[in-house]
Amino acid sequence: MIYSSMKEVESWVDKMPDEYKSSYNRFKRMTEVLTNEPEPLVGQTPKEVIWTKNKTKLYRYQPAVKKTNKVPLLMVYALINKPYILDLAPGNSLIEHLTNQGHDVYLLDWGTPGYEDRHNKLEDYIMDYIPRAAKKVLQTSDAKEFSMLGYCMGGTMTSIFAALHPELPIRNLIFMTSPFDFSDAGHYTNWLDKRHFNLDKLVDTMGNIPHEMIDFGNKLLNPIPNFYGPYMSLADRADNEGFVEGWKLMQKWLKDGIPFPGEAYRQWIRDFYQENKLINDKLYVRGHQVKLSNIKANILNIAASRDNIAAPKQVEPLNDKVSSKSKAFHLLETGHVSVAVGRKAINETFPLVDKWLRDHSK
Amino acid sequence: MSQTLPIDPFKIWKDIYDKTEAAWNDAIQDSLGKESFSEGMGQTLNNYLQYQEFVTNTAETYLKQFNMPTRGEVANVASLVINLENKIDSLEDQLESLKDDSTKEINSLKRTISSLDKKLDSILTAIENNDKKTTPAVPTKK
Repeated sequence: MIYSSMKEVESWVDKMPDEYKSSYNRFKRMTEVLTNEPEPLVGQTPKEVIWTKNKTKLYRYQPAVKKTNKVPLLMVYALINKPYILDLAPGNSLIEHLTNQGHDVYLLDWGTPGYEDRHNKLEDYIMDYIPRAAKKVLQTSDAKEFSMLGYCMGGTMTSIFAALHPELPIRNLIFMTSPFDFSDAGHYTNWLDKRHFNLDKLVDTMGNIPHEMIDFGNKLLNPIPNFYGPYMSLADRADNEGFVEGWKLMQKWLKDGIPFPGEAYRQWIRDFYQENKLINDKLYVRGHQVKLSNIKANILNIAASRDNIAAPKQVEPLNDKVSSKSKAFHLLETGHVSVAVGRKAINETFPLVDKWLRDHSK
Repeated sequence: MSQTLPIDPFKIWKDIYDKTEAAWNDAIQDSLGKESFSEGMGQTLNNYLQYQEFVTNTAETYLKQFNMPTRGEVANVASLVINLENKIDSLEDQLESLKDDSTKEINSLKRTISSLDKKLDSILTAIENNDKKTTPAVPTKK
């Protein structure tokens, strides 16, 4: 019945002018994408699990591919969203690109925290998980030094880890759109103000902070492009299969978030957004003062000009604090996510990271 | 024959979006930056949390009445498993350190023995050379 009426509609559309036909076909394709099509495959670069702890997994990518760079790279992702944004799809994956170029790449996947993980603090991840992962990386690759790449909040955590462990053989540190200075965090500075934002009540009531709540906050930073923009773009370009594939991948990742462990969230908001402790050397982790000046590794600090989650002014101040002899700040004309996926990332970010790592691993 | 439609509804919709988006965005950004917005958002969150707390407490009371485990109790069991895993992880770490230490000691012993072996060889060579010097080629008759 529905099928025959659809056929009638289509035969009717066939008689219409070309422009109208094209609009109808785009609308039809958009409906298919939003309702019928299965989710795209992600994270397809071959990998093996070399260590696990609680829900966390440490992956080594393309172990069979020859490693020409003898300094392995450990990637640390944020506690929100899933890390497969770094390995989104073949041809659109930072991890695939780096492993194909001979880098020995490892990724720390925090997994999806359950209600039992609501008491996990940032220091649990920084002092218990990352050091063990680093040890496993050195053992597995049989290397004397290693490099680290932190993306978004993962970069902030990486900087704290590196500052607290100057004895570890960290050769290079790459930060991708990681905030360090929270003195002006855009709208977040107002929204998370202690006078209005009841942080303790939120954490005590919710346990873990649902992904939907964090995602809503991020989208609210720029509401029209974030809430409606993707559907406008799809309606406009649904006849371009390449665009549709990229759109589906990005939407899958954006909706596929994970809850933020409650205690870690409390620290993240209070110590960073409300009190800006890290950049002012006022942050203490298990009683140890975090001094970014303890960092001596080579640094590549990447910011994105259109990033409203970690604006360049929040990213750049790290370079003035560290003691590294080789430190570079690189501003890309892109956004918080498009720094890691998409055409701009493939053409600029991937070669930049690859070359910088190679030059600093000799 | 190429036909054109005088009015394309999609194009009109897209044009309206493109033209008004920037203007709307500016107005929205102004509103989002105001203190009254933060205040309102905080109040909305408080109301939501109050509701959420009520739902959680009601669900827990209900589950307890029917002798069913609550979310917190199930999470406690999971925590016990995680703690156990942490202990195994720490044992594994200690075993690895022991293995590393014993490997280092064995290697150090190997080096010492090899160096002793070389010294013994050189002593034996020196003794042999000494014997050759002190022993005449043709035995002398008394």
